[in-house]
Amino acid sequence: MQASDLTPGGAPPAPQLPAWASLNDRGELVHGNAALAALLGCPVGALAGQSLVALLEPADAPTVRGLLPRAGRGEALSCPVRLPAAAGWYELTLLPAAGSTEVLLRPLSPAPAAPAPPPAPDQEREAQLNIIFESISDVIFVLGVEGPRRYRFQFVNAAFLRITGLPREQVLGRAVAEVIPEPSLSLALGQYQAAIRSGQTTHWVETSDYPSGRLVGEVCVTPVFDAAGTCQQLVGVVHDVTEQQQAEQALRESNERFRYALKATTDALYDWDVAADTLFWGEGFAELFGYQLAQNPTPFSQWSAYVHPDDAARTVDDLRYTAFHTEQPRWQQEYRFQRADGSWATVFDRGYLLRDARGRAVRMIGAMQDVSERKAAEQRQQQLAQELFQQNADLQQFTYLLSHNLRAPLANATGFAGLLGRLQPGTAQFEQTLEYLNTSLRRVDEILHDLNAILSVRGQALLVVPEPVPLAEVLGEVTELLAAELAGCGAEVCAELPPALRLQGRKAYFHSIFYNLLTNAIKYRAPERPLRVVVGATTGADGSVALTVADNGTGFDAGRRDAFQLYQRFHTGVPGRGIGLFLVKAHAESMGGRVAVSSRVGQGTTFTLQFSSPAA
Amino acid sequence: MTIYLIDDDSLGNYLTETLLRLENVGGEICTYESAEEALHALLRRPEPPRLIFLDLNMPVMSGWDFLDALEPHQPRLLGRCRIYILTSSLALADMERARSYELVSGLIHKPLDREEIRAIQAELSI
Repeated sequence: MQASDLTPGGAPPAPQLPAWASLNDRGELVHGNAALAALLGCPVGALAGQSLVALLEPADAPTVRGLLPRAGRGEALSCPVRLPAAAGWYELTLLPAAGSTEVLLRPLSPAPAAPAPPPAPDQEREAQLNIIFESISDVIFVLGVEGPRRYRFQFVNAAFLRITGLPREQVLGRAVAEVIPEPSLSLALGQYQAAIRSGQTTHWVETSDYPSGRLVGEVCVTPVFDAAGTCQQLVGVVHDVTEQQQAEQALRESNERFRYALKATTDALYDWDVAADTLFWGEGFAELFGYQLAQNPTPFSQWSAYVHPDDAARTVDDLRYTAFHTEQPRWQQEYRFQRADGSWATVFDRGYLLRDARGRAVRMIGAMQDVSERKAAEQRQQQLAQELFQQNADLQQFTYLLSHNLRAPLANATGFAGLLGRLQPGTAQFEQTLEYLNTSLRRVDEILHDLNAILSVRGQALLVVPEPVPLAEVLGEVTELLAAELAGCGAEVCAELPPALRLQGRKAYFHSIFYNLLTNAIKYRAPERPLRVVVGATTGADGSVALTVADNGTGFDAGRRDAFQLYQRFHTGVPGRGIGLFLVKAHAESMGGRVAVSSRVGQGTTFTLQFSSPAA
Repeated sequence: MTIYLIDDDSLGNYLTETLLRLENVGGEICTYESAEEALHALLRRPEPPRLIFLDLNMPVMSGWDFLDALEPHQPRLLGRCRIYILTSSLALADMERARSYELVSGLIHKPLDREEIRAIQAELSI
């Protein structure tokens, strides 16, 4: 609307008419009646063009200013107002009309002083703001600007006091230098300056030590300027990020620890995505087993296909069973896993299954540990323990037999010596007893010689420096030595040893072995046929050599007892002490060999000596 | 009265026989150097020997084997045949094992001496 539309002058106002005016969309009077002019204390002609708000008591202005746009949008509104030129309260009513807003002003009927005036809108707003300030979790503060680098706390909310742990009286009315500790103080003063200079809100993060502890806050400060453009106040908001920062720090440290742990461990870590059935591998997998992964994650088969077929059931099947048919959170197994080069590693695998609320496996995180070396060491240890156990048992048996066999002739000697005292010297019985006493003592001596022979083998076993021994040559020496005995019974020794065959060992031991086996063959030959002994050697595919000494003698029931046990005898008719085969075994074993026997009563006996490898 | 001496060591048998004779143990003394032979002889007799001295450590058939072989004939032997193990072994295990045989009346360490012979005579109430 234009000023030219106003109708100056007009009829004098009827006193009963309410004060009235019409407003344009800027809140200015287009025209008003005389009652209004009277209330406002000005001529009717002066009303046009005046801002309605400017005509009211300044304290009420903001409320009305807030209502005008609403009325413009079609709301009928009213509120109590005061007028500078008239005492008391008036009801201001805004009525939306086409293209304009009608205004009515009516005195409130009760005396203006009487009614309990509704809370002033400012007070109400302040109360509401207060509630907001005090209940908000962020720190809010207002600083009064007193000069360059001089600021004083005018307002802080409850969050400020709660978070810093400072009491209100140590903050309110205090200079910032008294409240904010260094180094945050210098930072903050700089930022305040910047905000005032630029007129813009500034942001920064500061870390300060307050009575409640170390706090990290994101600070945001806005300068507030007065009409003259002077900055009077700074309004600040601080968002406390201490916990968030601590959590981030803890996460960073934890991640770092995990990274180092990954580097420190030689295990192959994996993450099985159950739904996709893929495995994501840590570095260790390639390193431990030599696989170059073209992709990561890999299909599940990258693992399952390389589990040893004999272990697959209790490993692959068991894992899938545990994952899909149980609710167990853990799985572990030891199994063989093929390396990229085809060799087998012994692996100890341990995993943790992550399950959803219904117990279904979602992921499994685990680690494969290569325990091959430990396993091998364990096996070596087990073998060693077994050997020691066997050796100990042998020694016990040895002690038992020796004490028994040593004691037998000694007991006889004691008996004969006692008998001598009761017999008449010179009698035939006395002479016989004396002879038996001598015989018994000679046997004691024999046993002691045996003992010496046995102990020397056992004792020297560790000291033997192996030399290549030409077997055919040694056998020749032994047959030469036994030539008379062999000829005496018409025996034939067929030496079928390759002339060049040499075995690592000691010549004296091979000599003893052949000697004992040949004398045994002579001793236990079958009387009904001439003795024939065949000595041969065969070399296996693995380079091991099997020496065989086979005779056609009486044989014995080899299944009944250990033929190689000390003082074990199978024959009663032929003198023998039962030490020959014991020595054969001891000598063979001290050179790393093994001895076995097979025999059939009436047909003959074959001794087989197995040596791991021939001399180079 | 018949007495069996079973020991693969002929000197042992000779010594035991001489000591028994010196203590005037009467009757027939049969010596065997093989337990198998002794077993055959025993089983052929209508009446078992009154007394047996048995060595333990013998080739082919040991004293233990001999006792095991007698097990089926125990009813015929108990009370009529006393068996003493006569051994040079001092092993406790052997003494324990001897106790498990009902047929064994005792275990004597070689050599047999006068007191032991008299004790046995008393038990037989010869």
